[in-house]
Amino acid sequence: MIRANDIHKTFNPGTINEKVALNGVTLELNDGEFVTVIGGNGAGKSTFLNALAGVWPVDSGSIEIDGVNVTGLSEHKRAKYLGRVFQDPMTGTAADMEIIENLALANRRGKNRGLSWGVTKNEKEEYYELLKELDLGLEERMTAKVGLLSGGQRQALTLLMATLQKPKVLLLDEHTAALDPKTAKTVLETTDRIVSNHKLTTLMVTHNMKDAINHGNRLIMMNEGKIILNISGEEKKNLTVKDLLQKFEEVSGEEFTTDKAILGG
Amino acid sequence: MKKKLLAIMLTAAMAVTTITACGGNTGSSTGGSDATQNVSNPNAKYNVGVCQLVQHPALDAATEGFTAALRDSLGEDVNITIQNAAGDSATCATITNTFVSDGVDLIMANATPALQAAVSSTGDIPIVGTSVTDYATALELDSWNGKTGINVTGTSDLAPLAEQAAMLKDIFPASTYKNVGILYCAAEANSKYQAEEITKELTEMGYAVSDYTFSDTNDVAAVTTNACQNCDVIYIPTDNTAASCTETIDSVARPAGVPIVAGEEGICKVCGTVTLSINYYDIGYAAGEMAVQILKDGKDPKDMEIGFAKNVTKEFNPEICSALGITVPDDYKEIAKD
Amino acid sequence: MDITSLFAALPGNIAQGIIWGVMALGVYLTFRVLNIADLTVDGSFATGGAVTVVLITNGVPVPVAILVAVLAGALAGLCTGILHTVLGIPDILAGILSQIALYSINLDIMSGCANMAVNVMKYKLLLSLRNVPGAILVSLIFVVVIIALMYWYLGTEQGSALRSTGNNPAMSRAQGININMMKVIALSLSNALVALSGGLIAQYQGFADINMGRGAIVIGLAAVIIGEVIGNAIFKKKMNFVLRLSFVVIGAIIYYIVIGIVLWLHMPTNDLKLFTAIIVAIFLAVPYLKGTANNSFRKAAKRGAGK
Repeated sequence: MIRANDIHKTFNPGTINEKVALNGVTLELNDGEFVTVIGGNGAGKSTFLNALAGVWPVDSGSIEIDGVNVTGLSEHKRAKYLGRVFQDPMTGTAADMEIIENLALANRRGKNRGLSWGVTKNEKEEYYELLKELDLGLEERMTAKVGLLSGGQRQALTLLMATLQKPKVLLLDEHTAALDPKTAKTVLETTDRIVSNHKLTTLMVTHNMKDAINHGNRLIMMNEGKIILNISGEEKKNLTVKDLLQKFEEVSGEEFTTDKAILGG
Repeated sequence: MKKKLLAIMLTAAMAVTTITACGGNTGSSTGGSDATQNVSNPNAKYNVGVCQLVQHPALDAATEGFTAALRDSLGEDVNITIQNAAGDSATCATITNTFVSDGVDLIMANATPALQAAVSSTGDIPIVGTSVTDYATALELDSWNGKTGINVTGTSDLAPLAEQAAMLKDIFPASTYKNVGILYCAAEANSKYQAEEITKELTEMGYAVSDYTFSDTNDVAAVTTNACQNCDVIYIPTDNTAASCTETIDSVARPAGVPIVAGEEGICKVCGTVTLSINYYDIGYAAGEMAVQILKDGKDPKDMEIGFAKNVTKEFNPEICSALGITVPDDYKEIAKD
Repeated sequence: MDITSLFAALPGNIAQGIIWGVMALGVYLTFRVLNIADLTVDGSFATGGAVTVVLITNGVPVPVAILVAVLAGALAGLCTGILHTVLGIPDILAGILSQIALYSINLDIMSGCANMAVNVMKYKLLLSLRNVPGAILVSLIFVVVIIALMYWYLGTEQGSALRSTGNNPAMSRAQGININMMKVIALSLSNALVALSGGLIAQYQGFADINMGRGAIVIGLAAVIIGEVIGNAIFKKKMNFVLRLSFVVIGAIIYYIVIGIVLWLHMPTNDLKLFTAIIVAIFLAVPYLKGTANNSFRKAAKRGAGK
């Protein structure tokens, strides 16, 4: 369970580059809920995820995860509650380290890192099985450097890493945006499988309306640092892209604009 | 393309090193013309290795004097290998180790770190030092009776500080030149020692003495400026760093009208008014004579007393003295221009 | 110019190389593992030497003196780490600040003396120029133990976190690693090794000198880089971590053999540092230029013209 209460964030306050990125965002996710977040460029989707992850402190408002107020916790302290996958496949993994070492690092998320071995023998077997489930052949390349993997493989691995220690909330920040359509589809399928297997509470940012509609059980739309739409239940199931665009225009009074192809995918 | 780039870079690097290598050679020939001396004579009876900390006029002169003394007495019977550590104390160790592994008959160590490295390298091969101010400190000896008691002897570059203080008093009496600043590099052990010694002398004579230390050549100008603002006269000991920044010191002190008394001739030539000069060539030569006694007459360095400069000359720099309106007594010798 | 004299001097060069290799291992930790060029080492190397000499000459047993020197080095690294992480000063600048501060601190440690001797005849030093084979043996033992410790440490949970911090800070934070803490730890460990090397060198050459660490970072980088190039050339992709560390030390040995050759050839030593800087610059530039050579605008123009 995660609760964001009236989050505000302004970048470069008092300068010519001042930008109000989050203007009072309030959102509550119940356990096991899979929420997709959509919005135009600069709507504040990724900023909202970063606020939850604690990349920087928010200006006002509070964030609660599983009953714990984490507003004052730094990013690495908050990490124990959160699994994260980023837009750039390079961000989520350590390129110069082995696949198995990356997994072992992730397996110790939120734990004290002491002087026992970084990778134990039992873990190796465990990871072998988990990698096999990804069906990318990575289980046979466990000692290969992650830098040798393709973007899709890296995202799948990051997804596995993010969920190795079951997170309270899984934050997916446009994690398929940098992939080609086919790979993106595979990674999304893997996402669905992992989320449903572990019954993870998930927040997925995407710029692809179709994906936002087809995945998850609730959809929110952001604009100018605010949540302007919140659709769930039957309404969400019957939603089409056309409906979504229409609703956007109704609420915001402007046309949905983005430089990316938002309709296809 | 890749290969071409690499080739260009390597060629450039080699060209740079070669060019600077040529420059370096001409520079070192003033120090000891090693080009000729390093040609080994297979018939020579003695092999002598000279380890010089860094090239500057005083140390170069000492090496020159040393080799001259050896040549004068032993002629072609001696091979002299001169190595310069380029100011790097670790390289001193490399050099003295090479001398020991070559089995030289004697090592001449020019400046303190060179002497220390030589002593660490061998307890058997005789070592003759020069340009070392204080052997007891340099070698960490418990007792001092004028001899080291080990395989080391040599000459000190210490100008008699009492006489220097007396000279300062002659020209710059405490009645008008109350505040004396001592300008030196904090990183030089010899300078610190001299500063302490002359402070005692000057304080007794009624001067107010304060130290102005810089940590390297970068702060020389600033520290000198500060000294000039607060002092009536400045004293500079035999400091290697100051010796390499005399132009800078002069360009600050002369416009400020503050006279400088220098601990050695080289410094006085550029920025000083008067000096009581020991001549590095002379102490080098005296060290060379000691080396000859060890090699030829079989004397043991542990029985040989550390030598000091015998002849001190009162010298003055006419250009700076007249610029500052200072007149010196007749027994001061005009400093020789290069 | 007798070749035998070059070989006779070789053991001394090797001993010096191994001891500097300890420092190079410290540099490896920051430069390669943490991805920071830490300039503190120029100061902490002399700190190690100064502390060792001052304590030994004051009657402290040599092993204790060395241990204190190591701690002093770690403290220096800690300061750089705090300047960098807590006070937000860029890593290079934090290192420079520590280095400059250490100059004064080192002078204070030696009670204002720029140079302090430690008489090999008076104390039971671990190693000395007097006994070069012994020095090689002792320094080799140090290197073997240090490589073993580094291999173990970097394989632990904490060590893995340290490596990932250098490799990908964003990912490390997301995995709950306190990367600031990791940086401080690595800087401390690195400078501890550098100070150890300084303490050994001071004993080896019989004195500590305020200027003994000048340019140490470049020598360390030279050792790391020369070792990598040679190791990769010999073992290609079979380079494992122990080999990698061993070749750092071999790089330092080669560096000092080259200096031996330069002296043997009577090449002007004044240009040694320039020579070193050029070597390091070339080896640092090659991987970059290899990349740009395949990916340059000029090539693109050529390709365009060809079609």
